[in-house]
Amino acid sequence: MSLDPQRRGTDAPPDPRLRAFADVVEPEIEVLLRVGRSLTGSDTDAEDLVQETMIRAFGAIDRFDGRHPRAWLLTILRRTHLNMHRRQRPSTVGDWEVLHHARPAFGGAHAPSAEDRALAEDLDPALRTAMAALDERFRAVVVLVDVHDLSYADAAAVLDVPVGTIMSRLSRARTRLRAALAADSSRPGKETR
Amino acid sequence: MIRTARRMLTCHWSARRLQRYLDADPAAPLTSREVARLEEHLATCERCADVLGEHRLLSRALGGWRRGTPVDHASVRRVRALVEDLAEGRER
Repeated sequence: MSLDPQRRGTDAPPDPRLRAFADVVEPEIEVLLRVGRSLTGSDTDAEDLVQETMIRAFGAIDRFDGRHPRAWLLTILRRTHLNMHRRQRPSTVGDWEVLHHARPAFGGAHAPSAEDRALAEDLDPALRTAMAALDERFRAVVVLVDVHDLSYADAAAVLDVPVGTIMSRLSRARTRLRAALAADSSRPGKETR
Repeated sequence: MIRTARRMLTCHWSARRLQRYLDADPAAPLTSREVARLEEHLATCERCADVLGEHRLLSRALGGWRRGTPVDHASVRRVRALVEDLAEGRER
């Protein structure tokens, strides 16, 4: 049976592989939009990028082995981004400004605990300063893994670097963030947590 | 003296594994023996336990940023509609 919808008869039953495509990609839409915003720095551009990614993924579904759909889609997303913007390997992320001005929302849909509110009030300004001071390559990894909750392999697919590079940048970035926060908390007039 | 040196070595060994322990990423899992040794050390070493606590705090703070910048639901709906159209063979 042809995967090409144009070549299927209108009365033909849906190809199960086409339904499988939807089942595989739909759970990843939000992650793709978040990472798309990271790469483009804009919600509108992220949606365009993800729509184009979906069309390309649909065209390549025959070559997908069924394993690691998120990494597969993120690789297509990165390549699509490169093609659309003719950029070099993305070593940075563009949504830093968005995140930088976002208000933290600890606890998601639930009311934040007193501890989380205190964390936001005490830690957030210093953390933003510390993140801003990071090298862009390190900040990109922290944004993808710690903010957007990607796995090492998925972040590697986005940045087109080996997993070992992700781990090493992440480790160095977190060490710098911790050091910066420790220095901030030991400033005179700051209460030690 | 030997005891102190041994503890320092274990602190060094633990520090190199703390982030992998917290992340529990499938690309870089610790063995069950490593996890047991690390947890045993963390139970007795205040300094390493403090470092673990700092990492957890950092992780919670950064995760809070994600929840503070949610994805546009209208975008999700439009992309989902595109996927459905592709899967059903509908032309756009």
